Amino acid sequence: MRTIALLGQPNSGKSTVFNALTGSRQHVGNWPGKTVEKSQGSFTYEGETYEVVDLPGSYGLSGNSDEEIITTEYIRSNQADLTLVLVDASQLERSMFMMAEFAMLGKPAILVLNMMDVVKNQGKTINETIIENNLNIPVLPFVAANGKEYDKLKNLIKSEINNPHIPSNAPDVSSVTAEGEQGIQEKSRIKYEWISNVLEGAQNQTSKKYVMTKFDRALTTKFWGKILCFLIVLVGFLVAMIVMSPFMSIAQMIPAYLGGPIAKLMDLWNVNPWLASVFSALIPNTLYFCISMASFVFGVNLVFGFLEEVGFLARAAYQFDNILSKIGLQGKAVCPLLMGFGCTIGGASGTRVMDNWGQRMLAMAVVWSVPCASIWTIIPIIASSVFSPVEVILICVGILCFVFVMMWIVSGIFGRFLSPKGSMGGMIMELPPIHKPHWGHIFKEAILKAWDIFKRALVTVFLVSIIFWVFLFSVDGKVESSLMYKVGTFIEPVTKFFGMSWRTFMGFVASAFAKEAVLGVLNAVYVGQNSLMDATFNAGSVATDTGVLTTAMGSMMSKAEALALIVAVTFNVPCVMALNTTFKESHSFKWTAIVACFYIGTALVLAAVVYHVGMLF
Amino acid sequence: MKLTEAKADMMGIIRRIGGDARLANRITAIGITEGTPFQVVKNDRNMPVLLYVRETLIALNRRDAEVVEVEVGA
Repeated sequence: MRTIALLGQPNSGKSTVFNALTGSRQHVGNWPGKTVEKSQGSFTYEGETYEVVDLPGSYGLSGNSDEEIITTEYIRSNQADLTLVLVDASQLERSMFMMAEFAMLGKPAILVLNMMDVVKNQGKTINETIIENNLNIPVLPFVAANGKEYDKLKNLIKSEINNPHIPSNAPDVSSVTAEGEQGIQEKSRIKYEWISNVLEGAQNQTSKKYVMTKFDRALTTKFWGKILCFLIVLVGFLVAMIVMSPFMSIAQMIPAYLGGPIAKLMDLWNVNPWLASVFSALIPNTLYFCISMASFVFGVNLVFGFLEEVGFLARAAYQFDNILSKIGLQGKAVCPLLMGFGCTIGGASGTRVMDNWGQRMLAMAVVWSVPCASIWTIIPIIASSVFSPVEVILICVGILCFVFVMMWIVSGIFGRFLSPKGSMGGMIMELPPIHKPHWGHIFKEAILKAWDIFKRALVTVFLVSIIFWVFLFSVDGKVESSLMYKVGTFIEPVTKFFGMSWRTFMGFVASAFAKEAVLGVLNAVYVGQNSLMDATFNAGSVATDTGVLTTAMGSMMSKAEALALIVAVTFNVPCVMALNTTFKESHSFKWTAIVACFYIGTALVLAAVVYHVGMLF
Repeated sequence: MKLTEAKADMMGIIRRIGGDARLANRITAIGITEGTPFQVVKNDRNMPVLLYVRETLIALNRRDAEVVEVEVGA
């Protein structure tokens, strides 16, 4: 098998090319001994299979970040038969920096000039033959988002693998004697000089002055720009919700319509009731949760994929850099944080834009404190059981305000370990020009991500469901005969201190599993008309009647208890899939566990404080 | 003068980049090197500086922009 490596700066379209080449034939791991992610995949072209290695993104190769060291060592090791160096042709001179650094390693390559459509729109032309002659490697004008172009690329890969070309010249930095930052600057200057020579005469014109469009100007205004950012994201979420709703309603029907008939069938065959409920409740419900999570991820990625493509997110990063740097993060974290309001899973994977592992892990920890869309639907229902509508709104606003306090606390505590002052780099990022999106590409990426979550969720949700199932199962269907009831009432003296009765504590536990399960559990323990199992796993009867639920909760729960429950559910760890995703993205079990323990502890402490303060009134 | 003192729409040349090796690596890799012509696109207080260098719009956070010395012309 032949191996090709992909190399390019952030925004060069490297991940687009990787996804388009390999499709769903990818596997993700990490580089030996490092937390840096290693994405590999494969594709077959004219009978030959090619392994594709996506090298970690960075702006250069000479720095000492993990990413740069890994990439340089990999290229030096000759493990790849060929490297595709991707550059953004619309910012050719700057983007060629990676090519300059790569050329110094003297390995076979193809130079891919991506985003030729943008170049065309800017009224520029690039003569690739001149570059080809200067470097003696093939240069391919390309549009990564256009699926039709890949045949050409694959064909070129095939011929180059058999007849490889190594860059004929490279920047010569041997004259530089200065060390430290002076040496780096001197070397960079030589590299850019080399680039100008390579590009000499290849571009018909370069723009010396940047003219902002009206929209761009509005978006970067200090005050109104921020308001505009929020509005755009808000509209984005509305669109996401509209996109998701058909999937969600279908998913919701699964337990009811599939569970009932299966239960009857099991009854008919005299299957053991324990086993029967696995088929009639557990499996349909696992499907429901997985589809629901996948559609959240799909909706959020669709909208944010669009916002990123058109260049909006880079503006948002610019807008919020100063505010975020006050809590130890930087502007690039704005995207995952905003995504978190839709779905924590999406937010956690959205941290890929961050520069290094420490900042990524920190951003993920902070994203956890952002209540996802599901939590925002649970809070009003619980609150309205004991509070007036005005109070409900006040509670929502109060929670939102506290989210920012929580973010500050989380980054304050974990920031000193994950992103210590010395290692923390401020935001230096390029703002791509605002441009039209490639819809096909955005859809494909969103589907790919949703599918990935769905597959992973099937296993995780099913396994965690089994644990819950053991706790919730009762022979006669009564709550009192379940293990959960016995454990819950046994530890109630302890949970009481945190302001939670055994009933609300079950809601709290369920919120760590899936937010979708919270109302079902509450329904079972408060209304009790259907078994705890069925309610949690949405089986048997149709979905929870929130009217009945709030009335029942209202009669059994004090205001202080309700507040404690709301706080505990909101600031608990996000759902199991968000945990799973954080682990997958960070490659660190240790940190995922530490952050999880922190959130569980904090949620309990907050609930205790809220409860005991509430009791004073 | 410092880059943070340059006004919007000013054109000039990057003169000196202070700071440590880490910053030198990051800032030169994205295209800001000594001697590079640039245009200030936006420079609001408490916001990153937006500058146009090598056909790229770059947002540079304020703290790092403090250590960049520039010479402005037109």
